[in-house]
Amino acid sequence: MPPGLELIDLRRRFGDVVALDGVSLRVDEGTVVGFVGPNGAGKTTAMRIALGVLAADAGEVRWRGRPVDGPARRRFGYIPEERGLYPKMRVLDQLVYLARLHGVGRAAAQARGQEILDALGFADRARDRVENLSLGNQQRVQLAAALVHQPDVLVLDEPFSGLDPVGTDVLVEMLDRERRERGVPIVFSSHQLELVERICDRVAMILDGRIVADGTIDELRASRERQLLRVEVSGDADGWFESIPGVRLAESVPDGVVLELEDGTDHQRVLDLARSVGEVRHFSMVRPTLSQLFREVVSS
Amino acid sequence: MSLEPAATDRGMWRVVASRDFWVRLHDKGFVISTAITLTVLTVFILIRAYGGGPDSFTLGVVGNDELGRRVAALGDRSGLDVTVVRLDDEGAADRALRDGEVDGVVLGDVDQGTASLRVLRDPPDLLDQLVQGAAIGLRLDTVLDEADVPEATIEELNDRHPVTTSRIERPDPDRDAKAAVAFAIVLIMYGQLFGYGVWVATGVIEEKSSRVVEILLSAIRARQLMAGKILGIGALGLLQLLLIAAFAVTLANVTGAIDLPADSLSAAAITLGWFILGFAFYASTFAVAGALVSRMEELQNAIVPINLLVFASFFLSISAVQDPDSTMAVVASLLPISSALAMPVRMVLGAATPWEIALSLAIIIGCTVLLIPLAGRVYAGAILRTGSKVRIRDAWRAAE
Repeated sequence: MPPGLELIDLRRRFGDVVALDGVSLRVDEGTVVGFVGPNGAGKTTAMRIALGVLAADAGEVRWRGRPVDGPARRRFGYIPEERGLYPKMRVLDQLVYLARLHGVGRAAAQARGQEILDALGFADRARDRVENLSLGNQQRVQLAAALVHQPDVLVLDEPFSGLDPVGTDVLVEMLDRERRERGVPIVFSSHQLELVERICDRVAMILDGRIVADGTIDELRASRERQLLRVEVSGDADGWFESIPGVRLAESVPDGVVLELEDGTDHQRVLDLARSVGEVRHFSMVRPTLSQLFREVVSS
Repeated sequence: MSLEPAATDRGMWRVVASRDFWVRLHDKGFVISTAITLTVLTVFILIRAYGGGPDSFTLGVVGNDELGRRVAALGDRSGLDVTVVRLDDEGAADRALRDGEVDGVVLGDVDQGTASLRVLRDPPDLLDQLVQGAAIGLRLDTVLDEADVPEATIEELNDRHPVTTSRIERPDPDRDAKAAVAFAIVLIMYGQLFGYGVWVATGVIEEKSSRVVEILLSAIRARQLMAGKILGIGALGLLQLLLIAAFAVTLANVTGAIDLPADSLSAAAITLGWFILGFAFYASTFAVAGALVSRMEELQNAIVPINLLVFASFFLSISAVQDPDSTMAVVASLLPISSALAMPVRMVLGAATPWEIALSLAIIIGCTVLLIPLAGRVYAGAILRTGSKVRIRDAWRAAE
């Protein structure tokens, strides 16, 4: 995979607060990276530095292996956390203007603006002023603004927040198309971890200004060296598993338990014991969701 | 279709300027401010052309033809236009006064000491003086005639100015007209500099408070954005001033309010030129004021210092219309904060010497060239900081 966007050892302080403490992140061409972490962990700061609207105290942003300069940066597409459009400007005028600021010629900008509105099913609102649109529709214009100049890379800060399920599907589809058809590397931050798990190739987890986990979901799962078993046994037999060494209760679930097994503990011993207690209705390895991994990382 | 970007953002101020120009050209504010300025200017010019106080009277006479003739003659010599109307009797006089057909009626007989000036309420001062003067003349003639003074001597006494006037300096017959032009220039220039300066500041706040500036600055640099905004809004200000000037010059010459075609054209050119200089000087400070705050409500406070400077310049320039050679007027026409208002006044009045003009130009251009990079740095350091008002020092440090 050729390197697309790379953040290398970014550091940034605001007064006494360390916002970024050596953040490195790589978004290869044609991949979607989810950027997750609790509020205040440094996601927005890292993305603003990537876009050049904030300066880093140290570190570097590279694009295709070279330090990012003005012309390269104008090929970036960006949705900032706090959003931002001219409230009184008409939708199409706004898109054309933003395309032109990104270096697109006048005629091409006009055509692209129309095209992106068509693609978003939004052409009938082209003459509306942004302030007269619903928040969800403003969000769509915001996405169009990020895509109108056919960017080489997309950096999206919380692009899904405020979207209804339909809007979410539209955005997912748009991102997928950008990636598939043009190989655009995409990094976006989100708190909707199921969504991240569904559409991202890789996930980077940030905590207190440091990247604490970075990889595919499977890699992240593997890195949390744990085995979880979900067992449902009929009959009232609380604590039936306690006699097996290396097994402890991870979580009680309806009709059963999730057990955490230490390395080297034999599943079959657990199964045998369960069968001796009652009828085993369910017995499976549990794959931790991204949410569970996230909670574990944050709490550890 | 080429989506390849240009190598740098260097020309991007043009795209910004174009948006700021067109958006505001279609703004209601532009139409309204143009309409208000043109209306005020029209009233100002029409008052000069056709108003200017009652320098024409209609005087009714009952009998008294000779007095009427003398009032008209005396008025003519004083530059006042007196029309004499003959009326039949006192009743007709009162009706004419009530109908407003005459300003006053002379009744009775001067030689018999029964003459009176009848008016509706307050006698117009000038008319009263004219009638009194004419009556004295008439009475003197009668007395001289009775004393057998020769006719020729009486005529000589009546027709000649006994006292001649000599002057140290040649008078400017157009002084009055030029002062009116200078006064109008101060008013318009003040409105234009301040109005368009505030438009720059609100334009900056609009981008800051809507957060769209974050997207703009991911594409172009802050200084390109500031330059584009100032140039776009400045171009609109210049266009409006051009419209106003063309309108004023045409109306003034057509109505004869100011009968100086060449002078009014050069006054318009001076105004346009100094607007460019004054706006260039002030606009970047307005942009900084906008960048330091995050909401429109805070703008009033942020522009107080600039407001005071422009307002002080306005008053200095108004007094320069009265006395363009005073030390204060000279200083005001040299300082960059006030020269855009005061220097056009002194130039139109013919009071500015060539070296004063050259010095004033050098000072304001030099100061503008120094000020813009400083303002650009503060702007760049403040524009992305939302929340409470940014201090200039912090903004200065935040930008490289």
